[in-house]
Amino acid sequence: MKLYEYAIRRLILMVFVLFALAVFIFYLTRGLLPPEDALSQFITPRMNDAAKLSLAQALGVATKSCPSYAAFIGQQDGCVVPLWGQFTGWISNALQGNWGYSQLPGVTPGTLTTWEAFAERFPFTAELAISGTILTILIAVPFGIISATHANKLPDHVSRVISLAGYSVPQFWFGYMLQIVFVLYVAIHGAGILPSSSTLPTSCGLCLSDPGTITSYTGLPVLDAALSGNFAYFWDSLLGLALPTITLALTTIGALTRILRSSMVDALHQDYVLLARSKGLRERTVIYRHALRNALLPAVTIAGLILAFLLGGVVVVEYVFSWPGVGAAAVAASTAFDVNFLELYVLVTAVILIVANLGVDILYAKLDPRIRY
Amino acid sequence: MASDQPTPGEELPPSGTAAEVRYGLHLLWENHLVMAGVIMAVGSVVLALLSNFLVNPSAAGTNPNLPRLCWNNPFVNWNIQGINNCGGAVFPLGTDYYGRDLLKMIVLAIPLDLQVALEVVASAMVIGVVFGSVAAYAGGLIDELILRVTDVFFAVPGILLAIVLMTILGRTISNLTIAVLITWWPLYVRLIRSQVLSEKEKPYVEALRAMGSSRPRILFRHIVPNSIYPLLVQGTLDIGSVILTFSTLVFLGFAPSPVIPELGNLANQGIDHIATAPWLMIFPGLTILIISLGFNLLGDGLRDIFDPRLRR
Repeated sequence: MKLYEYAIRRLILMVFVLFALAVFIFYLTRGLLPPEDALSQFITPRMNDAAKLSLAQALGVATKSCPSYAAFIGQQDGCVVPLWGQFTGWISNALQGNWGYSQLPGVTPGTLTTWEAFAERFPFTAELAISGTILTILIAVPFGIISATHANKLPDHVSRVISLAGYSVPQFWFGYMLQIVFVLYVAIHGAGILPSSSTLPTSCGLCLSDPGTITSYTGLPVLDAALSGNFAYFWDSLLGLALPTITLALTTIGALTRILRSSMVDALHQDYVLLARSKGLRERTVIYRHALRNALLPAVTIAGLILAFLLGGVVVVEYVFSWPGVGAAAVAASTAFDVNFLELYVLVTAVILIVANLGVDILYAKLDPRIRY
Repeated sequence: MASDQPTPGEELPPSGTAAEVRYGLHLLWENHLVMAGVIMAVGSVVLALLSNFLVNPSAAGTNPNLPRLCWNNPFVNWNIQGINNCGGAVFPLGTDYYGRDLLKMIVLAIPLDLQVALEVVASAMVIGVVFGSVAAYAGGLIDELILRVTDVFFAVPGILLAIVLMTILGRTISNLTIAVLITWWPLYVRLIRSQVLSEKEKPYVEALRAMGSSRPRILFRHIVPNSIYPLLVQGTLDIGSVILTFSTLVFLGFAPSPVIPELGNLANQGIDHIATAPWLMIFPGLTILIISLGFNLLGDGLRDIFDPRLRR
């Protein structure tokens, strides 16, 4: 099978998986709840029952022959559209970008669409996930190399314990520990450094007094500040990013270190490494020029997956650091029963994850000519 | 009937098994990290079993007269202004928002967390063995269908799916267990499927087929028992991960009540009092870390023992 045939096959599967996920999520959020809940996000305070009924009909939840809103709520015979019919209405709305109005706390009902609420928070999440990925690579690559070159010696054991601890630490706890240490103790008993969230505390010792404003190019505060040439804003955003990034990267650092270690150990046992050594090359050259280049392949391709994983996995970190991203909003949406937001978040994350998976597989095939599909 | 005949696999005496076990225990003993894991994991299970004898469950009740958020352990000075002093009896780990002894609450909380983890892992294993082995052994359309269903679950981050489920299901402990299980089982289906796929090509399966053993018998009596070890390793590792996920969900506020002694729930009380009562966050989280790390170290060690290729 050629690569593009494989890619097309995967794309078809991707559509199938997304469709199945949409059905599943729709059934969860709509099928298990009373039908009038589908309206809740579209209802504005000034609507009367007639307007609500026509809304329900426009949304495809109530039938055209339904006499009154009360009959719809009472689920009279022939008043509520069957679930499958509701689904087609919902999915066609969703595909046109119509996800209803946001019901997140602090949003006046009917003023902000779910899509807008998601879009204004997403850059913050993306920023956190990108910096988490960068930190993961910066730490895990050297750790992985050292563990492999010192396999079953002290450095390997240390990195093994750190990796396992990374899997085992409750993220929320680690985030609060950082806050207790850096914000509570360092702020009280010395100059406050490293603010704990994007909202900068006034006690922040290393922050510059007035960061000023920046032009929004990408929506990512750090990148925008750099592009605007506002150093104060850039420094402040970077400081605010520090603790959440460390907390976020904890789990993935362990995973990537273990993967890199095992591929590096494999590479060091290959014949070409033996050949390189027998040619009398320096050990440094053997490790970095011969073994590492081959061992990095699986690790580099996994970086894309880490980014996608972090994009979905930021819920806890954002909650702990009051980060204004989509993850913390998901918890708020759950409390406020804003199912539209959750549906949108789940499906967007799924698209990102699936596309990242596909991209990684294609990249892998491109980089390693031995792989054939 | 041919399938009732004893098959070669059953006739073989367990020769070498005792030696294998002895060698495994030897490896375990040699590896201090794994031993530390065994102590933490077994210790938490023993503590869970004994918790109702060690602490009277009625200690979890609330009473407005109890000293709230106070600390009087003389060995630790938090160096924070505005800490309440309990007066009277010493509370080794301070008291929580409801004035209950935090140490007692942690001891009472461990059984719940471990029980949920065991339920989730055991159910996920059963589902995984049934669907995974059938998918691999049957192949074709059934395999494709089961795989695509797991794809759907892999496309959503577990914690997010659990949040959606909890929004709909309502906040109870059993619903939390169900939500975690729904995000967990696909992993086991994939794992056992890949094991069975490699196992079913081995010569002994062909021999069994030639002797006329029935397909379910070959699958469940021979192939599955031979491919179960990686599942046990994964299960041990996952006890820690499930406790993490479960307590995180509770921490995020998906508990039925803030009073229930559960490790994430206790830490959740600490959020609003992080500057005046940091112990409320520190100790429950530390307990989760110790239990989870224990099972992870144990699982990591079991992997080395069960996988002869990794032995050195």
